Amino acid sequence: MTLLAACGRVAADAPGDNPLASHAGWTRTADSGATAAVYFMLTNRGSVADTLKGVSSAEANTVGMHVSMQQGRMMQMAPVTALPVPAEDSVAFQPLGAHVMLTGLRRPLVEGDTIAVKLEFGSGRTLEVRAGVRRP
Amino acid sequence: MPVPRLSLIAFACAALMAAGCDGPQHGAVIERPAAAPPLELQTLDGGSFRLADQAGDVVLLYFGYTHCPDVCPTVLADWARARRLLGAKAADVKFVFVSVDPARDSPEVAHAYAMQFDSSFVGLSGPEAAIDRIKRDWGFAAFPEGDTRANDYGVAHPASTYVVDRQGRLRVLYHPGVIVEDLASDLRKLL
Repeated sequence: MTLLAACGRVAADAPGDNPLASHAGWTRTADSGATAAVYFMLTNRGSVADTLKGVSSAEANTVGMHVSMQQGRMMQMAPVTALPVPAEDSVAFQPLGAHVMLTGLRRPLVEGDTIAVKLEFGSGRTLEVRAGVRRP
Repeated sequence: MPVPRLSLIAFACAALMAAGCDGPQHGAVIERPAAAPPLELQTLDGGSFRLADQAGDVVLLYFGYTHCPDVCPTVLADWARARRLLGAKAADVKFVFVSVDPARDSPEVAHAYAMQFDSSFVGLSGPEAAIDRIKRDWGFAAFPEGDTRANDYGVAHPASTYVVDRQGRLRVLYHPGVIVEDLASDLRKLL
């Protein structure tokens, strides 16, 4: 079962630009030391597939990619170590699906703040996701 | 011979009532509802929350943990939206979050967590033995996943919101991601 939604074709970008982009990033308000999920839409406008291989952030002690999965009557999470990002397509990080998990927040996340998460890809490219903090 | 239209409508209504269409329509509706299992945990004021004492109110229960980054906050945020849709009727609905991670969630932590979503929400936790008893009585598992010596382990927990009706009967379960308007519509039918 996959909870990663492919979200349609997107236009190719000019050569030389970073074909990877994110938008609609958000997370919830949270206390210092708490755990938070970061959600966003990741788009690959290029004609070559890439793979998301690493996530990091200065906001938390531990940062990882996870996917929530319902197994029978239980809700569980599984770590994700590599996530394909098809060419000319998008991948949604969204509630009840894939998310970047921040564990051990180093400060409270307050409504109106923006936090940054760095994504690292198999191609060597990197991307900074900006996520606005919303009330839960 | 043509059947009078009013008769057809009356028949359709009777059929709908017989099928239980006046009750909850969404989620997993329990056909022959029985008394909900017991649930009792101490509250911060030194009293206790006893499910059996809530007769007259509809009670929503979610068994999760406060370090849950994705599913628990999604469910509780949906509850908060459903509560707003209920308007004044929400006064007769209790929204109760029960931590199944007593090692990290004290009653204070669980309550503060629940109140982030709506100040009327109740958050409960308790000693491990009390949580184990609830798991046994309610017939579900909940267990840590990962290294519990670190602080970043997850906890497998029941997926569903449990809804107890005004007579104290377990009536319906909702998966995470239920459409909030559907949840609110069902709750209205239970009030």
